[in-house]
Amino acid sequence: MSEARFQVNLPGDPDVEDAPRITGRRILELAAKTWPFLRPLKMHLIFYLILIGLSGLVGTVAYTQGLDLLSNKVLVGEEKLLPLQASLLWLDDSFGDAGAGLEVPTDEQRKIVLDRLLIWMAILLVVGIGSFIAIWYWGTWIWHSVNQSLRVAMVEHSQHLSLRHHSDTRVGDTVFRVYQDSAQIINLIQEGLIGPMGLLFGLIWAIVLIVLLAPSLLLALFIVVVPTVWLTIAFTPRIRRRALANRVANSDLTSRLQETFVAAKIIKANRAEDGALQRFDKDSHRALDAAFRVRLEMIVLSLLVMMMGGLCVISTEYFMASWSNERLGLNVPAAMAFLVPFVAWNLGAFQFGRDQTGGAIGQGYGAVRMWSQLQDLFIALERAFFILDLEPEVESPDNPEPFPVEVERLEWRAVDFAYEPSHPVLASLDLVADVGTITAIVGATGSGKSTLMSMLLRLYDPDQGAVSINGVDLKRLSVEDVRANTAIALQKNVLFTGSVADNIGYAIPNIDRDRIVEAAKIACADEFIDELDRGYDTELGERGVKLSTGQRQRLSIARAVVRDTPILILDEPTASLDAVNEQRVLANLEQWGRQRVVFLITHRLSTIREADTIAFLEEGRIAELGSHDELMSREDGRYRRFVRAETLGLAEAMRDE
Amino acid sequence: MSDGSDPNTPRRREGLLESIFGKGGRAQYDDQVDIDTELSNKETFFLVGRAVGLLKPVKKLFFAKFLLSTGMWVPGLLLPWIGKIIVDHVVGGKALDDVELRYPPFMDPILASLQGLGPMQIMMVLSILYVGLLFFIGTRAGGTGAYLYEGSDAATQAENQISGGGSEAGGLWGLLEYWVNVRLTQRMVNLLRTDLFEGLTRLSLTTVQDQRIGDSMYRVLYDAPMVPDVVYQLTLRPLAILIAALIQIYLIEYTYGDISPELVWLAWSAFPIAIAITFPFSGLIRRTNQTKRAAGSSTTSSMEESLDSITAVQSLGGMEREKERFAERSEESFLRERYAIVVWAIVVALGGIFLSSLLIYWGRGVAHNVIVGLLTPGDFFALIGILVAIFYAAGELGDTWIFVQEPAAALRRVFFFIDQERDEDAHGEEEMGTLSDGVTFENLSYEYPDGSAALKEIDLELPTNSFVAIVGPTGAGKTSLAYMIPALLRPTRGRVLIDGIDVTRVHLDSLRRQVTYVFQEHLLLSESIRDNLGIANPDATESELLDALQTAGCMDFIASMPQGIDTVLGRSGETLSVGQQQRLSIARGLIRNSQILILDEPTAALDPVAENRLVEALTEISKDRLVIVIAHRLSTIRRADRIVFMDQGRVLEVGSHDALMRDNESQYRRYAMLQGVDSPAER
Repeated sequence: MSEARFQVNLPGDPDVEDAPRITGRRILELAAKTWPFLRPLKMHLIFYLILIGLSGLVGTVAYTQGLDLLSNKVLVGEEKLLPLQASLLWLDDSFGDAGAGLEVPTDEQRKIVLDRLLIWMAILLVVGIGSFIAIWYWGTWIWHSVNQSLRVAMVEHSQHLSLRHHSDTRVGDTVFRVYQDSAQIINLIQEGLIGPMGLLFGLIWAIVLIVLLAPSLLLALFIVVVPTVWLTIAFTPRIRRRALANRVANSDLTSRLQETFVAAKIIKANRAEDGALQRFDKDSHRALDAAFRVRLEMIVLSLLVMMMGGLCVISTEYFMASWSNERLGLNVPAAMAFLVPFVAWNLGAFQFGRDQTGGAIGQGYGAVRMWSQLQDLFIALERAFFILDLEPEVESPDNPEPFPVEVERLEWRAVDFAYEPSHPVLASLDLVADVGTITAIVGATGSGKSTLMSMLLRLYDPDQGAVSINGVDLKRLSVEDVRANTAIALQKNVLFTGSVADNIGYAIPNIDRDRIVEAAKIACADEFIDELDRGYDTELGERGVKLSTGQRQRLSIARAVVRDTPILILDEPTASLDAVNEQRVLANLEQWGRQRVVFLITHRLSTIREADTIAFLEEGRIAELGSHDELMSREDGRYRRFVRAETLGLAEAMRDE
Repeated sequence: MSDGSDPNTPRRREGLLESIFGKGGRAQYDDQVDIDTELSNKETFFLVGRAVGLLKPVKKLFFAKFLLSTGMWVPGLLLPWIGKIIVDHVVGGKALDDVELRYPPFMDPILASLQGLGPMQIMMVLSILYVGLLFFIGTRAGGTGAYLYEGSDAATQAENQISGGGSEAGGLWGLLEYWVNVRLTQRMVNLLRTDLFEGLTRLSLTTVQDQRIGDSMYRVLYDAPMVPDVVYQLTLRPLAILIAALIQIYLIEYTYGDISPELVWLAWSAFPIAIAITFPFSGLIRRTNQTKRAAGSSTTSSMEESLDSITAVQSLGGMEREKERFAERSEESFLRERYAIVVWAIVVALGGIFLSSLLIYWGRGVAHNVIVGLLTPGDFFALIGILVAIFYAAGELGDTWIFVQEPAAALRRVFFFIDQERDEDAHGEEEMGTLSDGVTFENLSYEYPDGSAALKEIDLELPTNSFVAIVGPTGAGKTSLAYMIPALLRPTRGRVLIDGIDVTRVHLDSLRRQVTYVFQEHLLLSESIRDNLGIANPDATESELLDALQTAGCMDFIASMPQGIDTVLGRSGETLSVGQQQRLSIARGLIRNSQILILDEPTAALDPVAENRLVEALTEISKDRLVIVIAHRLSTIRRADRIVFMDQGRVLEVGSHDALMRDNESQYRRYAMLQGVDSPAER
């Protein structure tokens, strides 16, 4: 199966070679997982199934009686009505077996029977179509509701996963999973549980009817079963492997596509459109080929099975034609006459027998097809549940302590952290910050500044050591509380779809406009917002592209300020601000931050100097700590060297020393 | 999560009619570029006409498919008559000589071979015929198709649309037809979605920025696959249906025309009735389907956006809000799907009721003929079989226009972006040579599409072999000005000249080869570092690659990576720190080795050591090209040969750092002083 192997194996994808095996136990396990999504709808489901069963029964009776009446009583016209039929058609005894002494019905009687039969058909037609639409809508509603819960659960869950997971799972893959694979959950329930149940029911029903008619026909059916089962077993692993390859190829296509659109700007600026196109074409072909291959396996299997089934249908038909030709007698128990109303092998019985063997073969064929589709479905489900099964790395304790009413002190104690074990980012780091202070975190690119701050939000937890607030380990507080009490303005100025006001008031329900405006003023965003067409109600495009970077940055700051939390983190808040705005924003923040703990991550000296304490980060630990003046007075201090490089340029800084 | 919103409880139950008819205007979706989505019958007509044009590149396969689809006529023609022989002459036991009716001519060889045989001998011959038909075209076993399980969502349906294939024949014929069918469909889809993809990547930058990523994906992945079906619906299907139905009507006329002429005109009447019932619904069906698809694409968008900004969402505690938003849109999208189903079901039901009434009336007439002995029971079933086939054909023909409605919405969404103006369209064919003079802006103004002015009457010369810094407060128009050079934006008035040639006269390939733009956002792909640089210059040698990385200061962190420059980055490069991403972006700019290099805030996230190294390198390479840097940091700016100071869309001052600092009235001086540190020039 070398053609099914791809270079890219997405995280969480099982290798193509060990495609998950479908076993009864796994199906039940998976079904159990879907139960929480089904439970709220269980009464709906039960009544839905009962209704379907009932309409099936009504359909069967209407069909056999109608067939007998039409073929034997009207068209051939050599038999009289059974008592049950006479009463169903509202006719008197002269039409029945006992009446009028005639052996065969008269032409007039046949015409009357026909008209009554047609009236019944018309009634059933109208009622049937009406209830069919109602049942259809109801069923769709039920499955949509289940699918909705499942999708939402998947999105919710993936949003709570630790960022460590997100940084190495491609967005497109998640999109594909939620969209394409969650629909398959519905299929599992419909096709994996209810489908087989229905199939089994249909098969038993057909066999019962066949047994009532002529048990010898069963023999022909069983002759077909053996090779069919053997073929199915032989094809199963091939179908499974190719189904997995198909899923992987399509998911790959999706994530590549997504990424290309995200990076559209880079591709344009570099005139890499042709390369992107070629790659897309290649991915697209691979996905199409994979889709074709899995289906080809299924088709060859189904053609072989159909061929055997067809032979069975044709041969049984031959025998039944022969019995009907000889008018062989039938021994249907009287109690079953409402189901199988034939007195001997006649035209109606022949047609009925032909339909039933065809039906039984059809059910068997359906079972084979269902089996091969289940292989694909099962793989999809494994992938869908992969998301649901991931444990969020950062979890709230079962009984979280309440968040302190007044934050006094934040402390990092001997914190170790690494994204990958071989590359420690923080190594036994200690840091303390008290309320009412502004701490600047300074250090070279990649020295772990942002990581240090992420721990305050519990985006990551320390590998070793602890981050505490008033002496309480953050791990003993709930994640929601921690995040609700810490505001951050990110270095990447993400904007969300919605108005300016929505963006500032993001995640705060029903916030009033005054608070938003006040926050915007502190962030000096007020003035440019007022100049926008619709002010605070201006809609922002995807990722806020219509604002300049500096404007977006100020919105980010306003978004952090508006949350009015005791802890505020500003990650490079002024990188894209010009000097005038920088000073104004910092002055405002200083004023606003009096009763809070404020952190600044920055390179800009003009920003750093506003801080009370400067923590100089190097190689994962705090190398120097103190005020600007203190640190500058250290003759060969690292911070001092950093500052001189900033103002003079490195070359001169070196020369000076 | 909070207890108030249990995700398992379906939240909205609304009146059906209210929703179908009352809320039509309420649908608000995320399309920002493609806004006007109403389709008239006329537009639909043109769209589908255009879709049929897509057959051109695949006409051979299409012809093969047409020939193969004739296979299904064989059972359609033979089965009613074989059935009649079995009912009358095998089960009914009548002798074959009693035939009063004319069988159609193609039955002659079969009838001839049955002459003089007893009932069970007839059955044996017919059974052998059945087996032959079974083997070659799968008669009595069913059609060929390979549909995977699909939900009622666009994604799984699109998959089946492309590769489900399908043939009404089985056996060897069915296998062959499936093969041709799927390859034909796949080829069409691939051609189309590659075209669409190309259209989407070549949109002008302003359009790209307004277009939602989720929406683009939906178009490529789920809308494009709907197209081949439209083509078949309009070409193969009606043709095949019509031919088959006409043959059936001819058979009725030939065989039963004398006995009961009303049989024939009743059969004909099925066609106008079917069309009269279905046509009036086409508009409603199209609208419900359009909103359905739009709602689906808005669901994708909302999920894509929240996952893409996951850091922000988590750190601001917006998970609940994002979940709610997704749930709401997803719910809406399911609701829309159900409306589409209901409308469709109503049309099917109406058609079903009318045609069934016709069938009941007709069957009564035939049965009377049987009762009085004009026809046999076998005739009854043969006739019903033929009539059902005709009615089915009529119904299908009536539905054709409706079937086209749903994909028409998809078609429009696909063609919209194929037709959008591409960057190339505004450009000439000239090639750009080595840069000799430099870049000139001539009376250049730029307004955003909403009319607000970004740049006002700019006249500026940037000579080659120099290092230029564009400086100014946020929102001054620095980035817009720089975008003008590689024509990422085009001026509303005025011109941009490179060596005296208007950039719009230069071929876009040539222009962008000579102008490199390093963006402020660091957009990395989740590929290896090598591949990330390869986008910019696929032909770069190993040593050029390492040089660029070295100059941009990437080597120190790359050296510590397990696979060096072959290390695969996480999603959008997020396993790197922002500063590292920035340095990689810069390396990607350097490796192109082009005549004009523009860097937008290259040093914002760099520490001083890295910054200085970079500025040194830029100064060095500016000796034989034009380097333009947009920057705030004084430490970067003061090294430039020429500083362009901008504010509010105008260029206010141009000159070197020292020259500008000497002028006491200079706005740049004020700006530099505000940077906080004592001005080095004055020390």
